[in-house]
Amino acid sequence: MDANSIIDSLYSQFPDDIYDTDVESDIRVVAKVKSENITNVCRYLKENLSFGHLSCEFGIDYPDRGEIQVLYVIGSYEHPVVLTLKADLPRDDPQIESVVPVYWNANWYERETYELFGVKFIDHPDLKPLVLPEEMLGEWPLRKDYKGFPNKTAKNLV
Amino acid sequence: MLEEKVGPSEMIVHLGPQHPMLPGPFRLNARLRGETVVDSEVEMGFIHKGIEKILENKTYLQGITIVDRICYLAALSNEEAYVGCVEKLAGIEVPERSQYIRVIVEELSRLQSHLLGMGEYASFVGFVSMFMYTIKEREDVLSLLDSITGARITHSFLRFGGVKDDLPAGFKDDVKRVFPNVRKAIDSYEDMYRTDAIYKARTVGVGVLTADIAKDLGVSGPPLRATGVPFDIRKDEPYLVYEDLDFKVCTEKAGDVYARIQVRLDEMRESMYIIEQCLDQIPEGPLFPENTPYGKRSPVMRIPAGEVYHRVEDPRGEMGFYMVSDGSDKPYRVKVRGPVYPTLQALPPLLKGVKVADIVAIAGSMDTCTSEVDR
Repeated sequence: MDANSIIDSLYSQFPDDIYDTDVESDIRVVAKVKSENITNVCRYLKENLSFGHLSCEFGIDYPDRGEIQVLYVIGSYEHPVVLTLKADLPRDDPQIESVVPVYWNANWYERETYELFGVKFIDHPDLKPLVLPEEMLGEWPLRKDYKGFPNKTAKNLV
Repeated sequence: MLEEKVGPSEMIVHLGPQHPMLPGPFRLNARLRGETVVDSEVEMGFIHKGIEKILENKTYLQGITIVDRICYLAALSNEEAYVGCVEKLAGIEVPERSQYIRVIVEELSRLQSHLLGMGEYASFVGFVSMFMYTIKEREDVLSLLDSITGARITHSFLRFGGVKDDLPAGFKDDVKRVFPNVRKAIDSYEDMYRTDAIYKARTVGVGVLTADIAKDLGVSGPPLRATGVPFDIRKDEPYLVYEDLDFKVCTEKAGDVYARIQVRLDEMRESMYIIEQCLDQIPEGPLFPENTPYGKRSPVMRIPAGEVYHRVEDPRGEMGFYMVSDGSDKPYRVKVRGPVYPTLQALPPLLKGVKVADIVAIAGSMDTCTSEVDR
């Protein structure tokens, strides 16, 4: 399984959902995907192209484009190619389907992306903060316009 | 929530955030029926440091000291993943001598991490004197690391395109003095593990992961290799000079706690073998590439815009950095993909149906590092 045949296979299966693909090297492939169909694309990748290892899932904030990008870095146990899927979401209401039914370990990655960027994962089994306290929900600290959590210690309240 | 599901004759036991078994603060809430774990959940975030945000506000060179602190036992592989990202983005070629030195320090770091992890683990299952044995050998290995990098735990040793310092004079002799003792010690640990009836009763057949389940849960490193999957980034996607070195990927079939410890024992021997090969093969030459702006003293450097994912084999599994550069002197976004993150996440399914006494035996055998999960 080499990089080009992976791209061809994805294109033939999802002609409307995959765009802006790029083969960076023999082992690195990048593709953009429409956010509505992310779960189907991931399921196809896992079942037909042996991309069984979700390395990570995270967000990137692009305030000047008004977008939040969710990235899926997916590797494999059978071949050395690593595929990066990118889904662009509107910054004012970022929503995307959860891939937990396909990749079990996406659970925590999605919880973290939710609390740090405010991306809402539809049908996630248990969407609640992972590393931040509850009262920081809504601050979205990893967005670029975050200015610091209001300091509510006793000294500052007096 | 776990509290809402508690049925009659059931109770919830909290382990942590402070517990001798835990490598850092996290909480494990287990719902018990009698002595059997019905359900459990992991709570994280007690030492969240916001390293990903901090890295966005530091220059590339300052970032090296920050990534050291992600996991104190694997500081050098964290640095390798971070520095490797920048080198790929900027197209820096690392001279061969520096590559060999990096392999030496990273394998030493793997050795000391496994020695500590294994010794700690033995004390979890009631074998406390074992910890004292391994910590003694680890001290010798740390002294070797100290003689190269000048620090025991947080090294800040790698630089873009090279390493901070050359090997000290007489390092090969030091290795020749220390390694035979470490080898002998590892043989004796293995002997103890093989013959001790209590240890075997607590580990053989406990916490079994099969290959398919381990892949589904996304774990990597020794817990995955203990199930028979030869997944090792050093072989699958060679970085540095690992292609030129002779070593084997250590695997076991059983997938239980005993197999995980056995994999770590074998990996320590392989690490020492790798270091000895490096010392035989290491060429003379410069530490930094010539005629580049990136050297030991380049506090401000602009990296060409781009995105890259670089991964290395940490003592605990796949360590990857995803770096986005916008052409300025600071990274636009850095994602740290630690190996322990999926491993710790896999605890609740692994603990389902086991006895309370085995919680510590199973959770400890994953060799977790909370600092890296929280970041």
